[in-house]
Amino acid sequence: MTTMIAPSELRLTRARVGLPRLLWAELRWIFRRPRTRVMLGLLAVIPVIIGIVLTFADGGPTGDADPPVFVTLASSALALPIGALTVLMSLLLPLAITNSSGDALAGEQANGTLRGWLLAPVSRGRLLLVKAFGVAVVGLVAAGLVGTTGVLTGLVSNGTDGLITLSGTTLPLLDALGRVAIAVGWVTVQLWALGAVALAISACTEHPMLVLATVLGGVIVSQLLLVFDSLAWLHPFLLPSSWESMINLVRDPIWWDGLGEGLVRAACYMVIGLSLAYARIVTSDG
Amino acid sequence: MQPKTKGIAVAVTGTTAGLVGLLVMTLPADADQEPELPELSATELVESALTAKAPAFEGTVEVTNDLGLPSLPALPGLGLANAESARIYHDGDDGARLSVQRGSTEFTAVTGPDGTWTYDSESNTATKYPGVDPTETVPRHGGLSDPARAATEIIDVLSDSSTVTIDGTARVADRDAYELVLTPKPSERTLLREVTVAIDAATKLPLRFEVMPNGSPEPVVSAGFTEFDVTAQPDELFAFTPPRDADVTTADPDKARKALPKHADPSQALDDVGEALGGSLSVTGSGWDTVLTGAVPEEAFAEAAERLNELGGPDGPPETTALDVLNQFGERFSEGGVSGTEFTTHAGTGVVTDDGRFAVGAVPRQVLIEALEQQ
Repeated sequence: MTTMIAPSELRLTRARVGLPRLLWAELRWIFRRPRTRVMLGLLAVIPVIIGIVLTFADGGPTGDADPPVFVTLASSALALPIGALTVLMSLLLPLAITNSSGDALAGEQANGTLRGWLLAPVSRGRLLLVKAFGVAVVGLVAAGLVGTTGVLTGLVSNGTDGLITLSGTTLPLLDALGRVAIAVGWVTVQLWALGAVALAISACTEHPMLVLATVLGGVIVSQLLLVFDSLAWLHPFLLPSSWESMINLVRDPIWWDGLGEGLVRAACYMVIGLSLAYARIVTSDG
Repeated sequence: MQPKTKGIAVAVTGTTAGLVGLLVMTLPADADQEPELPELSATELVESALTAKAPAFEGTVEVTNDLGLPSLPALPGLGLANAESARIYHDGDDGARLSVQRGSTEFTAVTGPDGTWTYDSESNTATKYPGVDPTETVPRHGGLSDPARAATEIIDVLSDSSTVTIDGTARVADRDAYELVLTPKPSERTLLREVTVAIDAATKLPLRFEVMPNGSPEPVVSAGFTEFDVTAQPDELFAFTPPRDADVTTADPDKARKALPKHADPSQALDDVGEALGGSLSVTGSGWDTVLTGAVPEEAFAEAAERLNELGGPDGPPETTALDVLNQFGERFSEGGVSGTEFTTHAGTGVVTDDGRFAVGAVPRQVLIEALEQQ
């Protein structure tokens, strides 16, 4: 193995490994992990559980003839997926994305498999791109699964009518599906922001647990800080401060203000996270 | 470039860009700018505001207050102290839609070709107001056949107690606006410094209303648009069909119609409120140092005391009496033969005397006591 590789040969090898193949390999690598599948499966089940609980709450054990309104509204194909995304956003979806980011760099560092990447004729920037792509896909799949099972549960329990907004208007099914798609997309972008920060930490350590603890700790502390009015000056800097505006998708017409702000905030976090991750990967000596 | 230098450069650039982005979002758009607008006199501005016809627009309204009310967790109905935001849509004609955000629920009122409807998502009830001409719900400045004269009259009435001026211009909701300022005359004994109304330069609609107290640059009450866009609005916004499963009720048309003009008359409204409280209310003084006096409904405090006792539970503090409730949130005073409890906020004072009378106003305590002594 001590034979020198001619520079021309190296360039040849580099050209042969196309980016799509690298990305595809990374995805296979991620989705072959049992923990990824179990985690995504559990996330997909949660809207179903919420839907069942809400459906059986009316006329349930108490025999209440007039169930509270939020019950009939909340199990519709519009409110259930958006509500489920909002609930899961506070902890479980960040857990999924952080877990994946932790595995991406720190986990591979711990297994020693990252060394292969660093030695391979793949530039460091491309390595980060591939890893970030894997994490991004996990975020999209997680949010998409929650949205999909939410819509399906809502359709089964409530049918296609009763897609009532908070403003008292009834939406056609396509319109409601569009809003759920927007919600899924919006949540995905928020998850990417968390994923970018998690990748930066992941690049600095070889303990995936540390990534998980730091980012989830950050999410929880941010949500705690949002409770205090006296810290209002700090709130615009905290990522979770726009998570509550998801409910604006159930209003008619949609209130975009908070949602747009949330996207800009997420983009800022992404830029910070990815630039730090890149800096760390470029300077690390493998 | 060395990988290390490159890495550091990227980290610094990226982090700076991200932080600047976050910082920019916290900055108010252009609050401190004072746009250049043609000179107008106060009378002209009021006149054009009176004749202004609302164009089709959509906007977000926010109401904030900093009254410094004592927080009364045990008493209901004080949630008003929280900031609320609402969206308003107007079609430039008779159609309008108002959505008030209340946490995760919403209250919507729609006026349009289908009549006037309200919908409360918390209780899932829709209410129809038949026979109410939507134009009646908005006071149409009745009898203002000559806006120029009306404007002069309004300014005249106001100038008994206040100085009405245009104090420069401001940017409100990203629009140019005139600031109409009402300042109390020196003879007025009030806790308020001034009231400002920002009037949009283009549409002449009021965009913001602020009440400023003495000795603080922050308004005690501020209500205004944070967003205001003049654009055509889709027709379906002003139509309303109650959703399936909603409780639909119809308000009594006679009652609804009667209620409108009645409450348009302030003295009648005062009597109604007094009736509801179980005593009569009276007004002393005029202008900025107007004081409202009346008798305290005894049940009100008995109920509050009961509620506090319930909250305390069996292990709670000893029985609270009505007087304790008052003393918990106010301060005892005794002055000129009147003793009782005083409550102060940033914009006004209220006293409850030991013999069961009360007085409130945007004035210091002595003025309240004088008003009580005149009774």
